[in-house]
Amino acid sequence: MTDRRPRPVRVSGVRLSFPSRGGDRLPVLDGIDLDVPGGGIVALIGPNGSGKSTLLRVIAGLLGAEAGVVSLGDVPIVGPDPAIGLVFQEPRLLPWRSAAANITYPLELAGWSPERRSRRLAELTDLVALDPGVVSNRPAELSGGTSQRVALARALALQPEVLLLDEPFSALDALSRERFDLELLRLWERAGTTILLVTHSIAEAIFVADRVVVLSARPGHVVADIVVELPRPRSLADLDAAIVSATAARIRAHLGDPGAAGSLELAS
Amino acid sequence: MSRATVLSVAGGLIVFIVAWQAIVSLGDFPPYILPAPAAVGARFVTAWTDGTIAPHLAATLVEVVLGFAVGAGLALVAGYSLARSVLVERLLSPYLVAAQATPILAVAPLIALWFGPGLLGKVVICALIVLFPVAIYTMVGIRAVDARLLELGRSLRASRRQVLTTLEIPAALPSIFGGMRVGVTLAVVGAIVGEWAGADKGLGVLINLARGSLFDIPLLFATLLTISLLGIVLYLIVVVIERRLVGAR
Repeated sequence: MTDRRPRPVRVSGVRLSFPSRGGDRLPVLDGIDLDVPGGGIVALIGPNGSGKSTLLRVIAGLLGAEAGVVSLGDVPIVGPDPAIGLVFQEPRLLPWRSAAANITYPLELAGWSPERRSRRLAELTDLVALDPGVVSNRPAELSGGTSQRVALARALALQPEVLLLDEPFSALDALSRERFDLELLRLWERAGTTILLVTHSIAEAIFVADRVVVLSARPGHVVADIVVELPRPRSLADLDAAIVSATAARIRAHLGDPGAAGSLELAS
Repeated sequence: MSRATVLSVAGGLIVFIVAWQAIVSLGDFPPYILPAPAAVGARFVTAWTDGTIAPHLAATLVEVVLGFAVGAGLALVAGYSLARSVLVERLLSPYLVAAQATPILAVAPLIALWFGPGLLGKVVICALIVLFPVAIYTMVGIRAVDARLLELGRSLRASRRQVLTTLEIPAALPSIFGGMRVGVTLAVVGAIVGEWAGADKGLGVLINLARGSLFDIPLLFATLLTISLLGIVLYLIVVVIERRLVGAR
């Protein structure tokens, strides 16, 4: 991340459709409006097929919107941008490279010298708390959690202002996932990066984010933008707080969970 | 190489030699039809020590190495183009398949006529026979590159050249080397066929001499053994390079 304050991400009226097998267009995003303040964390939640990952790809500049604008500060995003880092659902490590070479891959593409890459590697392994003993290992020798740590370090290599996380911890077990969420917050506190997190986990969304944006079923549009009133810094014990249950119930209600009304009443 | 591998290879060789000897003994074949393994072994040693085989092997080796290098080089370009361009695939595929379907034995005299009995003709024949498997394996390997890795490359703003050198080629290497393994053994076949079509030196020529004017059948077998060993050594060289470049994944 650069020294100046990170710029906000603005998504305004974004529409996108994909061609269907029948030749028609299948609408995926239907007029999405979303603001992620610079240095903030917003979680994006919604049912399967609501276009969460697609929206992330539009923001990352990997997909072009048919209508609407995505901008970083005042600059429209028209393609992949070094100011935006993306962590995919699966680590996507290059199996023929060591963990270290995977982490420094973006730096290599950007033309950094080996000495500079080596210095940055040390910073990144420290930032994501990666065991230095595994950096020479190939991805096949890494655990799922370590692989995702490597992927996170790779996304942070070029010091992006914005980090887009597409269900990065979904393949981990519940305990590891909680630990990673906590580490993500620590990393955010140190790096100050703007984070947009796509998740299926309501608890994760509440624990990590300042706001939780709920998308409808396809075609996705924003149905709720819920502020998480949980003070920072947060710890795992905060997940037991009443405000978490209340917020979860509100999110479930917008996700169309029939049991959410009762939960909402209980939480209130 | 592990002890178990060495033992299994040695065991297989012993079984082969014993079976060969048994066929010779039980069938009572004369040496000019099927010489005994001991006779072939003895002729193999004398042909090497008296310098009969070495110059022919050197000639064949040069043809194989040059032909393989040219054929595999062209095949890499062709295979990549086939994988990434529908137009190239439509234009090139019929000719590639036709070239593969036509027996090289039938084409070799024509190539010898066009390019003469020298080295060039043999290199062309070797290159032709190597082209198809390496091109097809390269095409399959490039097409099989994980689209998610290509998306990763795009997200990191990799240039076209960077995608090729840091993603596509490394990802396709196991498949490309699969084609090279096939290609390098076929290159030996190409060289022998090329020599049969017209040459004054090479293992193919030595086979013709051994079964013709010399009528030295043990030498014919010793030459066949040399050709087999050449193919095995070249194959193993490709495997070693593959292991170094592909490594553990």
